[in-house]
Amino acid sequence: MSPDLSSLVHWILFLPLGAAALSALFLRRSGAVAAWFSTATAFAIAALSLRLLTQSTGDVTWHVELAKLGEISLGFGYLIDANARLMLFVVSFVAAWIHLFSVGYMQDDAARGRFFAGLSIFMFSILGIVVADNLLMTFIFWELVGFSSYMLIAHYFDKDFAAAASKKAFITNRLGDLGFILGIALCLHLYGTLDFAALKAHAGPAVPVAVGALLMCGFLGKSAQFPLHVWLTDAMAGPTPVSALIHAATMVAAGVYFMARVSFLLAPEVLQWMAISGAGMAALAGLCALAQTDIKKSLAYSTLAHLGIMGCALGLGHPELAVLHMAMHAFFKATLFLGAGSVIHGCHHEQDMLKMGGLLKKMPLTAATFIAATLSNCAVPFFAGWYSKDAILEAAWHGHHVAVFAFLALAALATCLYSGRMIRLVFLGEANSEAAEHAHESPWTMTLPISVLGLVFAVGAGFAAHYLIPASSLQVVHESLAEMRFSFTAPSTIVGLLALALGLGGALKFYGTVRGADALQVVSPRAYALLERRWMDGLYRWWIDGPQRRLAEFVAFLDLLLINGVAVRWIAGGATAALGHLTGRSFHRGQTRGYALWIVVGSLLLAWYLLAR
Amino acid sequence: MESFNAYLLASAIFAPVVAGLLLIAGRILPRNWVSGLAFVGFALPAAAVLWFLLPASGPLDALLRLRFTGPWLFQLGLNGLSAPLFAMTAAVGLAAGLKALIQDVEARSTYLGLILFMFGGTLAVFATDNILGFYFFHEFALIPTFILTLFWGGEGRRSAAMQMAIYLTVGAMLSLAGILIAMQVAGLGWGDATFAALFQGLFAADAPLPAATGALTLFGLGTLASLFPFHSWAAPGYSAAPTPVSMLHAGALKKFGLYGIVIVAAASMKIGQGALGQWFFWCALANLVVVGLICVAQRDLKQLLSWSSVAHMGPIFLGLWVGTAKGQAAGIDAALFLMVAHGLSCAALFLLANAVRTRAGTYRFEELGGLAARTPVLAAFFVAATMASIGLPGFGNFWGEVGVFLSLRAEPLWVQALVASTVVISAIYALRAVATVFFGPESKQVAERAAHAPFGDLGFTERLAAVVLLGASLTIGFCPSLVTRCTNADAQGIAQAAVRSSAPKAPAIPVQAPKAVAPAPSAR
Repeated sequence: MSPDLSSLVHWILFLPLGAAALSALFLRRSGAVAAWFSTATAFAIAALSLRLLTQSTGDVTWHVELAKLGEISLGFGYLIDANARLMLFVVSFVAAWIHLFSVGYMQDDAARGRFFAGLSIFMFSILGIVVADNLLMTFIFWELVGFSSYMLIAHYFDKDFAAAASKKAFITNRLGDLGFILGIALCLHLYGTLDFAALKAHAGPAVPVAVGALLMCGFLGKSAQFPLHVWLTDAMAGPTPVSALIHAATMVAAGVYFMARVSFLLAPEVLQWMAISGAGMAALAGLCALAQTDIKKSLAYSTLAHLGIMGCALGLGHPELAVLHMAMHAFFKATLFLGAGSVIHGCHHEQDMLKMGGLLKKMPLTAATFIAATLSNCAVPFFAGWYSKDAILEAAWHGHHVAVFAFLALAALATCLYSGRMIRLVFLGEANSEAAEHAHESPWTMTLPISVLGLVFAVGAGFAAHYLIPASSLQVVHESLAEMRFSFTAPSTIVGLLALALGLGGALKFYGTVRGADALQVVSPRAYALLERRWMDGLYRWWIDGPQRRLAEFVAFLDLLLINGVAVRWIAGGATAALGHLTGRSFHRGQTRGYALWIVVGSLLLAWYLLAR
Repeated sequence: MESFNAYLLASAIFAPVVAGLLLIAGRILPRNWVSGLAFVGFALPAAAVLWFLLPASGPLDALLRLRFTGPWLFQLGLNGLSAPLFAMTAAVGLAAGLKALIQDVEARSTYLGLILFMFGGTLAVFATDNILGFYFFHEFALIPTFILTLFWGGEGRRSAAMQMAIYLTVGAMLSLAGILIAMQVAGLGWGDATFAALFQGLFAADAPLPAATGALTLFGLGTLASLFPFHSWAAPGYSAAPTPVSMLHAGALKKFGLYGIVIVAAASMKIGQGALGQWFFWCALANLVVVGLICVAQRDLKQLLSWSSVAHMGPIFLGLWVGTAKGQAAGIDAALFLMVAHGLSCAALFLLANAVRTRAGTYRFEELGGLAARTPVLAAFFVAATMASIGLPGFGNFWGEVGVFLSLRAEPLWVQALVASTVVISAIYALRAVATVFFGPESKQVAERAAHAPFGDLGFTERLAAVVLLGASLTIGFCPSLVTRCTNADAQGIAQAAVRSSAPKAPAIPVQAPKAVAPAPSAR
């Protein structure tokens, strides 16, 4: 409640906006300055968030009214509760290290100023979502996150695939936002307010299904959930640090965070859907990761799978577990992406895993952190990912959701399979190309961030949770962790360990059998093709090229034919001709006269019709 | 201070006209005099607006009560609804003027003079209380528009100018017919027909208003603002006009029709009620959905912008509809907001699209591509203007669109879903344009053009013009209260009056609407 803490939030929120403006306006040509300036800002924000974490105990609130439209109040304010503190810390901390990584990774890029301005504007947007105290403000920053992601995916704009991917990401997100804004309007209609606190007070136990279902659309878009998941894998067209920050660690997690924030508005039917579709998504995306040879796309599918797990946790009625998994996932997935970036950088921009191999010796530090993060990803006991993922499995078991539990178990197996495949193909065996042959370890600006994020957090975040995640945010997760029984006889642990042994071990062995090609593709091309094929993308493609385009052209044609042609030229022109005013020679003049006549006649008819009623 | 402000306001309106007169009359002026004089005419209104925005110029109430009393129709002053539109016109005019100043055209001083006439007339439209003056200044701005399109326009300018002239004149005449009926019912003559007098006269009149009055006024004024299905003039008209004219016309002058609907028809003519209200609703929805789809089918940058400028009228009309049909003041507030914001973003897009044309030599999508590599600043500005026009938060359009949308919250879900679908449709066509023109590999046409006639990035003047427009949009985006504190009270009054049942002669409802009812100190 204290005023100096809200001023702290002002700094956290507006510092990146200032940095973005400065970089975009004045530092466009001095990339190095922009890079270090932006990175310094990111670390300052991380420090401020840490201070907020350690100093605040209760909720920090602050609110102003920006304007009024009729009786609708457009508010701007902060609501920093325990969830928000944890999210602020995770976002700003991960982002700071990714900024540092980018300094090295983007060394040779001509448009560094633009890139770092984009990162800063992204920081502003995501932090806005975290601190927002009302739905409209969330929506504002939600849209801004979409915009910054668009800009950053389009970084290599001269490539066709980047141009297409950025457009696809933005439009798919807007499709989700369509539902989101409908949900906001419905909340305003039902409860007369958009403030979270007031909504919580007004919303009774029986919230209409539509509210949650519509708000969930925003989550489906931003967190790339079925059926709006299609943009995430294409979004890998952006620079790797962007994939790490936005499309793995923070932006996609914003959907989970938001759902946790409005969990009191979600009806049981909505939760049911989220649990089932989330778990199904987790299993399916995990298997699809097996059919990608691009290291970043494979990781993108892995992210889809983990987002499914988070969505499932929300659906099971454990938003705090979803937020916990979001935090743990942010640490290890950021490490994985940055590690992939380091590998790509080391292999001279080779992204095909089949052309890598044997990098363990050439890039030892990268390999060590990548493997550590992978083990966390696979939920090896006492690694960060284990705590949250096992808790979610356990929650499914306790909730007697058999189907959900089965899907999650399959997801766990798939995770271990693609993780083992990745390690086998990239780091073990022999080099499979010239580029991998001459791979080199990356500079310190890149290895330091992956070491910090990977070795310290991805491995130890859960184990040392009491030390690394300050106490004030732990109150969110502490209770749910405490009530879960962690024992090696719990069903979740047994399933997890089985998946680990079968998946990781099996994949390491299986993918060592064939060199320079994918073992599954060799053994069963049909299964591989089934997983590789992107069914939903095909459906959307068909809609855009087929019905949507034809509809648009048809409407344009009708407008030309009926309104501009028949109504104006033919009826009005014909009427003029009948009156003897139109000669062949002065057709042009007759046509314009026709317009006039049409308007007069039309309006008079309309007026007469109205008068007659 | 009062009288200084009043004279400043008057000179902001007269400066462009006087400068225009001098330019047209004195064709022998030296070249640099021409530019200097025109610049003063273009910039003075914006300077006046900046001054009015400063706290030093006095409180808002006092500014809205300012009246300059000159001869004949020249009773000038602002009200809560017109003040934001006036400020927007000043910004658009400055940007259009900057663009016109760097254009290389035949008979340059006449060209500039006519644009200044158009500018001055548009400013005066938003600064008069008198209905006759309102129409007079509109025609005063419209005639140069036709001439400019006819003589300085691009491809297809003849038929476009003729079509536009006829549509717009007929639209204005029909609406005037409606207003004449209303004036008769209210017992007003030309001399005393101010907006406030018309409203109060109709309020006090015994005889009910003939039902056609509202329809004539609404569809007449709607034609001027390209209400479906009277929109056919708009896209060819904007496409054929020279860029500064498209900017001023689509951005500012077109708002005459919308502003007219708000200030004349909304409160007193029951345009949202009964069958007329139904017609209004369906036309507005068609503007949004049908024209939105037409935009998706466009294959030419300027055609697309022209059509999307028509499509963006949809939310404005819907806001006015929900305000007059359901008494949702938010709808009127948001519609006003969107009028201002759309003026800025649409002018910026026309400006930047022309910058594309002058460099790449074409507007056709199939010939454009990869321009961002050669002109990064132009690309950045174009993306910003596109984002503004599709309602990205931070720009003014967002508040307008989201406000209209939230004001429709009590409507059936399918209506809301259709309206909200425009956030997707507009993103589809706008981002497709950005991707085709600026992203991807360089097109053959652009490469050839760059080889034969090398072109640079956006020049200083073009940048300045774009900064004026986008800066203004960002300002109201970050500080929406700049607009809403002007419009709130009047929107509330209009919305209340619009749904008041006409049967019982209710005791005077405190209507702050269309005009400050209290006689202004400097009024006659």
